[in-house]
Amino acid sequence: MRMGALHKWAIAAFLALGTAPALADQLVTDLSEHKIAIRSNFTGTQILLFGAVEANTPGERALDRDVIVVVTGPSRAMTVRRKARIAGIWVNHDSLVFPRVPSYYAVASTRPLEVTAGIDILKREQIGIDNVDLGTPKAQAMDGREEILPPDDEASFIKALIRNKKREKLFISDPGGVTFLGQTLFRATVDIPANVPVGLYTATVFLLRDGQVVDAIASPLYIDKSGLERFIYRLAHAQPLFYGLVAVLGAALAGWLASALLRER
Amino acid sequence: MQIYLPIAELPVNVLVILAMGAAVGFLSGMFGVGGGFLMTPLLIFLGIPPAVAVGTQSTQVVASSVTGALAHWQRGSIDFKMGGVLLAGGVLGSLSGIFIFRLLTRLGQIDLAISLIYVVFLTIIGTLMMTESLRAMRAAARGTPLPASRGGQHSWMHGLPFKMRFRRSKLYISVIPPILVGYFVGMLSAIMGVGGGFIMVPAMIYLLRMPTSVVIGTSLFQIVFVTALTGVMHSVENQAVDMVLGLLLVIGGVVGAQYGVRAAMRLKGEHLRALLALIVLLMGLRLGWDLVTTPPDLFSISDLAPHS
Repeated sequence: MRMGALHKWAIAAFLALGTAPALADQLVTDLSEHKIAIRSNFTGTQILLFGAVEANTPGERALDRDVIVVVTGPSRAMTVRRKARIAGIWVNHDSLVFPRVPSYYAVASTRPLEVTAGIDILKREQIGIDNVDLGTPKAQAMDGREEILPPDDEASFIKALIRNKKREKLFISDPGGVTFLGQTLFRATVDIPANVPVGLYTATVFLLRDGQVVDAIASPLYIDKSGLERFIYRLAHAQPLFYGLVAVLGAALAGWLASALLRER
Repeated sequence: MQIYLPIAELPVNVLVILAMGAAVGFLSGMFGVGGGFLMTPLLIFLGIPPAVAVGTQSTQVVASSVTGALAHWQRGSIDFKMGGVLLAGGVLGSLSGIFIFRLLTRLGQIDLAISLIYVVFLTIIGTLMMTESLRAMRAAARGTPLPASRGGQHSWMHGLPFKMRFRRSKLYISVIPPILVGYFVGMLSAIMGVGGGFIMVPAMIYLLRMPTSVVIGTSLFQIVFVTALTGVMHSVENQAVDMVLGLLLVIGGVVGAQYGVRAAMRLKGEHLRALLALIVLLMGLRLGWDLVTTPPDLFSISDLAPHS
């Protein structure tokens, strides 16, 4: 979906190049790491995105120039539930299922997003947490039947989704997080929290000029469990029966060991 | 020192988990209870997902009940026939508990259900134990021993069919009540991640009228197999058993239980029971408080349940 948008943009850029090739600035970027391994001592990390803007118009000072960095994790369906008080007890009541929520979304930019580009451009490129396409939500009443929520109610669910994701540090917005070192070099650090979901991530750097996207580069970032962590996780999901038997027999063995040690005392 | 839990998918402090395991192990050694009903809520307070807390806790109960059951086996204080009947009910109960767990997870009500069941049971058990131990303490102060209260005979129980002779328990009763007791405890084990001794032991004494000498051993025998089944089922159904977390809990629990047994020797029985009752009541109050106070955020998010 993102790649599709980029692809379309690439064609547009190519066409634009044909008309005014001399004016297009170009990006060169890289990531400090392309693979993050979650081991037993993993407590979160940071990735560094850096790069340079190669100006093809050397004489010209680019004043209205912005760099935006977006890191997204694999999308999955999420359920947002709203509690209501029933007989004095808080109970999960209505719920809304969003079909495509990025499990992780971080955006950093040179200036606040509102001043970098128009909302239509931000929406098209899905830049900014509020501009991510979450798919068409489906509402459910407490008894599991589908219902239709009024639009402002739906908006409060979307706000709640973003608020909860931000609290889990899985949605991050850092206006001013991209800093220029001199005229061409820029860098941004993005926090990867300890509870980060595994999967294929995409780090995209956008170059904007006068509110228009002039270049974008996407690079992959793999986050995966590693070592014993990976082995246990894989086993639990691929061979759940075997895993359960091993866990239970291991526990029984530990109990037997303890009783054997006790008897010796 | 932090360690990343592969199934719960979050890092926890090793020392905190070991200390919790030791504290609950201490209490279980002191009071002779499994301690599952204390550990599961503690794990949930720590932020471990309820499914993982319940699934993992069941493996910890396997370990501690194996230790206890072996000791009773050596002493010959297990009624295997009665244990088998309780186990038959327990297996059915555990399977239906797993089914209910899955259904509630899909409906988004599992957290509420676990909390509610805990509040109800902790409050009832805590109150019963507290009044009983206070009465015992008052009687001890007056110097009059409490008459062994044995209520009226359960005549309805003797009219039930499918009678069976349990030699070790010196009983000739219908198998229906023990199967029902086993079923109920098995269901609780699957939903709450407990062994269920705190329900089964009183039921065996007051309902089935088993001699106290074989009650604990027989209940531990049943708990070993029912929680083992529960652990396997939670692995298969929800992939919710975290081996790393389970190992830490078992280590802490084994160490804590040693000191608990020793500490118990220095305290009077009724004081011990009053103390346990107090802990149980406080736990129930804390969980109940969370249910009725307005939560800081009315909205919560979760990945879609894997089975829906």
